[in-house]
Amino acid sequence: MDMRGLILVSADDREDRLPFVAPPLPLFDVAGYSPLLRMAKRLESSGVSPVVAVVEEGQPGFSRAQMLPPSIDCRPATPNGFWRAAENAFNDLAASGADLVLVVRMGAYAEIDFEKFVHSHLGRNCRVSRVIHEAETLDILCISGSRRNDAASLFRSGLARCRSECEYFVHQGYINPLNDARDLRQLAIDILTLKTETPTAGREIRPGVWFAPGACIEKGARILAPAFIGASAVVRNAAVITRCSTIEHHAHVDCGTVVENCTVLPHTSIGACLDLTHSVAGAGQIVHLRRGVVVDVHDQKLLGRVSLGVGARLADAAVNLPQRIWRGLFGGLDREEPAASPALTPSSELLHEACGGETSAELAPNLVIARRYGDQ
Amino acid sequence: METNSRPVVVKRAPDRLNARAARDFLRDVQAFLTSDRPQLVIDLSQVEQLDAAGIEMLLHCMAQAQKRDGDVKLAALSDHAAVMLELTRMERLFEIYETSTDAARSFSGFLPNAMRQQLLHHKRPDFPAAA
Repeated sequence: MDMRGLILVSADDREDRLPFVAPPLPLFDVAGYSPLLRMAKRLESSGVSPVVAVVEEGQPGFSRAQMLPPSIDCRPATPNGFWRAAENAFNDLAASGADLVLVVRMGAYAEIDFEKFVHSHLGRNCRVSRVIHEAETLDILCISGSRRNDAASLFRSGLARCRSECEYFVHQGYINPLNDARDLRQLAIDILTLKTETPTAGREIRPGVWFAPGACIEKGARILAPAFIGASAVVRNAAVITRCSTIEHHAHVDCGTVVENCTVLPHTSIGACLDLTHSVAGAGQIVHLRRGVVVDVHDQKLLGRVSLGVGARLADAAVNLPQRIWRGLFGGLDREEPAASPALTPSSELLHEACGGETSAELAPNLVIARRYGDQ
Repeated sequence: METNSRPVVVKRAPDRLNARAARDFLRDVQAFLTSDRPQLVIDLSQVEQLDAAGIEMLLHCMAQAQKRDGDVKLAALSDHAAVMLELTRMERLFEIYETSTDAARSFSGFLPNAMRQQLLHHKRPDFPAAA
């Protein structure tokens, strides 16, 4: 039987969650692989092949090309044309001879037993089957390839309605809603504590500690299990990685920094002698999970971006060339002042100016003076 | 006592505490910091951006104040300021209070508020004494 997979990744901007720089969380690496890639691998291991992904384009200026796994046929779609692109992808799969198409919308990362799901679908001889978990329907469906009208009605309603009767398959395994950064962090913890079936991307060099190929741990750095260090990540001397922290690929943790219960996203550089705790850090933001806040960090000394290799830089420059030419020609008129200058001023200059400048005893008008005792 | 008559200055930090703002802020409080036993409360309630220069400035204020037997306390931390102080391990160096009033009052007490709270807990009958 020809079974094919269709994974849909759309940005779901709900207000009740911790916002993050790029909404589709399934594209972020967690312990080496993104949830999208994990789902695709799971489908392939169940005999569902090939797998096509339709990914909604994100905010302008955000390079998503680097986040898409090269092993999957990924088709970008505009927010307005997302469901149209999904329908077209389904039709392509059906036209190329698929008997069944498994449609997974992420959202949630669920470890479905796809073989049982398909058996259930075929056993009941139904057109469309849907997965439910604890009485809640999931956007995971099995659609017969010949039922294009049913599929069309589903895609045109955003997987909410089907024109024919829909059978249900009860899922009782692992599920993570992947609603916000908190869930992304929880997925990392679940992977490292082996609550999921999906593995980390690395080799377990000692119990609970996984290193991906090319990870560089300097002498004096301390990695406490469970932890994951991604490919080409660097952990410098005297740094401590502890409590289910994951350092994703090409991330740097500088000397003396403690990373506790954190996810450091790919290509993120954490400065020296810092305490990063209970957070997801990357893309110029720290999502502090205990405080429930998202903090933009403009200071490259604290939270920076690891520069790409020469090839990647050239490719990036080529992509952005027209935009740069346009800015060069017309950008001078409405150029905005940068929001914040990075903290590169040497301390001596700052202090010298402040101390050596004015010594007048007159205080600024916005100072409030309170006496400790008395009637004032 | 002589110390009781010393003034406490409460200064609100600007929303962006970057290199330039830190320089301006320091210039504002410099005169007070060079006085005898300065007592300064920095209100961080409006801070939406705090970088290394801002943190350096806070440290400088504290060093200056302590040199003259004074102190600098922080009050009403915004979420951003709280995260950045935690990230840079500065929260351990400063006394931090919920409000500027609490911080200003704390200068008049012999013990910091945290210690006073601990003592109150120990005195309560429903809290058994530690063995």
